[in-house]
Amino acid sequence: MKGYEVIEKIKGYINERDMIVSSTGNISREVFHILDQPQVYLRGSLGLQISVGLGIAIEEKKRKVLVILGDGSLLMGMGSIITSSYYKPSNLKILILDNAKYFTTGGQKTVSSAINFTKFLGSLEASFKISKNASEESINQDLTKFINSKGFSILHLKIESGKKALSNITWHPEEITKRIKKKII
Amino acid sequence: MSEIITSNLFLKFLEENNFSTITGVPCSYFKDLLMYLDKEYDQKKIKHILATREDEAVGIASGVAFTNRKAIVYLQNSGLGNIGDALTSLAQLYKLPMLLLISYRGLLPDKDFPEHSIMGEVTEDFLRALKTPYWILEYETWQETMKEAIYTMEKLQSPVALLVKKGVLSL
Ligand SMILES: Cc1ncc(C[n+]2csc(CCOP(=O)(O)OP(=O)(O)O)c2C)c(N)n1
Ligand SMILES: [Mg+2]
Repeated sequence: MKGYEVIEKIKGYINERDMIVSSTGNISREVFHILDQPQVYLRGSLGLQISVGLGIAIEEKKRKVLVILGDGSLLMGMGSIITSSYYKPSNLKILILDNAKYFTTGGQKTVSSAINFTKFLGSLEASFKISKNASEESINQDLTKFINSKGFSILHLKIESGKKALSNITWHPEEITKRIKKKII
Repeated sequence: MSEIITSNLFLKFLEENNFSTITGVPCSYFKDLLMYLDKEYDQKKIKHILATREDEAVGIASGVAFTNRKAIVYLQNSGLGNIGDALTSLAQLYKLPMLLLISYRGLLPDKDFPEHSIMGEVTEDFLRALKTPYWILEYETWQETMKEAIYTMEKLQSPVALLVKKGVLSL
């Protein structure tokens, strides 16, 4: 499956109170166009998506926070997944869409294939942690377990490269913040 | 030698100004504060979240700010070199206020620590280049300075910085 196809599936698993933090590049654009608005669409700050999600999760304990990020972003901010596993907020869910590429900037390779994600995630303090190929047959089952898990959870999906032709995010970041603050109240 | 700002009063001041979270990466200039925070302080009032990098701490504080709450980030000025993108493409761009508490290393008391000397020289230029208003925290005037910094932070809805020299927050 491609990243946006996984994002399309997520539709059925989140409600209007939940907060999604999406990462730099195509992923934010896809989340903006495909899922309910508003969410925390990050445009820059590569590597900081998990930390932003953690900051929201520790303050808004009754709200599910779903971070959707790419392998490039994960690798740049590798410490954040460790910090999250240390605090393991039960409302924080991390979805890694791994195409082994910096797809947004032209498909250059990342070093993500050097990680055995089953072993790596296995070593972290999380109540649900699975690494898989994203496939039509199992995606619904995987997302159900991942998003409905009672504790801190991590899902790493190997995806195929590919994007939908989508226009830019039309809201200025300041407007994103305004809408998020309104959603929180 | 002037006195040091007691950790107790410093944290109380943050409580009174509705800070919910403190996060960052340590510097020995904050030793007393961080010790007090973890050993004696009731973290139901202000939570302490450890970070692995300074930009991660700014990310956490940004998440806190998205929820309409406020965080303070502590870092050594060496870590200023790690937060350029976190400020410009996240906290400043999205209008997320936070207080940066930055140790001012590389001045005279650090003359035997060459690792701090170059950043010590450029710290204020660096903050100016990053369009981040800053104040130097001093014992005699710390409360007024912090009030002004917090007022500016709220007005701009953006990060502001306090520079902390040796002996101001810890012996
Ligand atoms: C600090 C920083 N460095 C580089 C970039 C350029 N950049 C934007 S998106 C991106 C690729 C991110 O890769 P990944 O997280 O795997 O997402 P994908 O594009 O594969 O969906 C890069 C390198 C940036 N935005 N910020
Ligand atoms: Mg990628």
